[in-house]
Amino acid sequence: MKLYSLSVLYKGEPKAVLLKAAYDVSSFSFFQRSSVQEFMTFTSQLIVERSAKGSRASVKEQEYLCHVYVRNDSLAGVVIADSEYPSRVAFTLLEKVLDEFSKHVDRIEWPVGSPASINYTALDGHLSRYQNPREADPMTKVQAELDETKIILHNTMESLLERGERLDDLVSKSEVLGTQSKAFYKTARKQNSCCTVM
Amino acid sequence: MAETSEEVAVLVQRVVKDITNAFRRNPHIKELILSGTLHPVKDLHLGKLALTKFPKSPETWIHRRWVLQQLIQETSLPAFVTKGNPAALPAERTQRLIREEMEVCGEAAGRYPSNYNAWSHRIWVLQHVAKLDVRILLDELSSTKHWASMHVSDHSGFHYRQFLLKSLISQTVIDGSVLEQNPLRSEPALVLPKDEAAASTEEARINLPRLLEEEVEFSTDLIDSYPGHETLWCHRRHVFYLQHHLSGPHVSQAMEVDGLNDCSKQGYSQETKRLKRTPAPDSRGLEMEHRFIDQVLSTCRNVEQARFANAYRKWLVTLSQ
Repeated sequence: MKLYSLSVLYKGEPKAVLLKAAYDVSSFSFFQRSSVQEFMTFTSQLIVERSAKGSRASVKEQEYLCHVYVRNDSLAGVVIADSEYPSRVAFTLLEKVLDEFSKHVDRIEWPVGSPASINYTALDGHLSRYQNPREADPMTKVQAELDETKIILHNTMESLLERGERLDDLVSKSEVLGTQSKAFYKTARKQNSCCTVM
Repeated sequence: MAETSEEVAVLVQRVVKDITNAFRRNPHIKELILSGTLHPVKDLHLGKLALTKFPKSPETWIHRRWVLQQLIQETSLPAFVTKGNPAALPAERTQRLIREEMEVCGEAAGRYPSNYNAWSHRIWVLQHVAKLDVRILLDELSSTKHWASMHVSDHSGFHYRQFLLKSLISQTVIDGSVLEQNPLRSEPALVLPKDEAAASTEEARINLPRLLEEEVEFSTDLIDSYPGHETLWCHRRHVFYLQHHLSGPHVSQAMEVDGLNDCSKQGYSQETKRLKRTPAPDSRGLEMEHRFIDQVLSTCRNVEQARFANAYRKWLVTLSQ
């Protein structure tokens, strides 16, 4: 079971702003790593943009599960994990991180921040520690606090999109994805194995 | 055919370029090994590298077994003899080879989910190189435990644990059956020197029920922590089944030997012996399983988990029929 990324974002209108992110791409081959990272940023932003304030959701895409929590104050967190990683623990992690972040970083910085400007360094440590869910969190506590029925489940990324919107278009328009990543996506799409880069 | 290091370099190129054919259709590698030009150990190293990029590659695993077989047959690899001295440890070189193979399999298993080819190779090595040595089986059981807990939907990984448990049981039976047991007689007829036989079977005998019990606890722990993984429930079925297999007639004979050897034990009444000979599923075990299912169903909020728990219950019912 694995965590690949942990990001803090601000759900602005209309775009989501990435404030801070931590990645673990060690399981990917060397040449894939930068593309994978870009796609995870792209995915995290897209998911936050398409999720309502005050909601929690899990979006499945191939063998990945993206867990998102958007708070009522528009602060949001996304964890990208594999399908083995228990979602309960993922949501505990998000709750904890956003709580800590909001105490460390002044609200006024959120709408205009960026990873370079934001001063919050705990993310990498959290990602690393939570790789082993049982060491990081006692299960019983989570069971009591979180009502799992309120978590929205999406079976594909596509179900987040508006009618008529296509993922391909969003990818090609994206400012977050480099040329190589976009080309990678196109080839993977052609082979009908979407995002095998991930 | 004259093979030089250039030939080997060409082969490396071929491997990188076309893993499918490099080991399969390339006669030169086998010729190189058979002629003594390419040392099997170097070939194994090459295969190990190839597996980092192609962890599933059937051709690589098949070729690897061919190479290992060459090594086993060669006199250069000390034979893994157990008949003369059951307590003897395998030769150092063989142990190293086994450890290396376990590591290669472990890495490949981590690179691709449910990597059947890697795990079946691992099993093959235990069967043909390690000859199902009990100490190695026990070591593998404990050393793969953490990995299994971090890969809860890796069916092949858990199947490996089932194989280990099954092999431990069968190895105990083999040792136990050497001790000829006539249920009507009060004493077993020992074929092996008493001390060694007692030592090896006693060790396996004492641990076996405990091992299975630990595996059940392990399964419970995982099912509670990680709801909704069918692999874990499948694994539980296998372990439960093995537990009942364990309380079957042949192993109960070994248990009786235990009682007979230990004269201070007063508890062995005729009734106890008869119960142990009964092959029917242990009702206490069944009851505990049903309670476990109840506990899961009452606390779980995962739809899949509930489904698996109910299916498990239905399966248990068919067992007692």
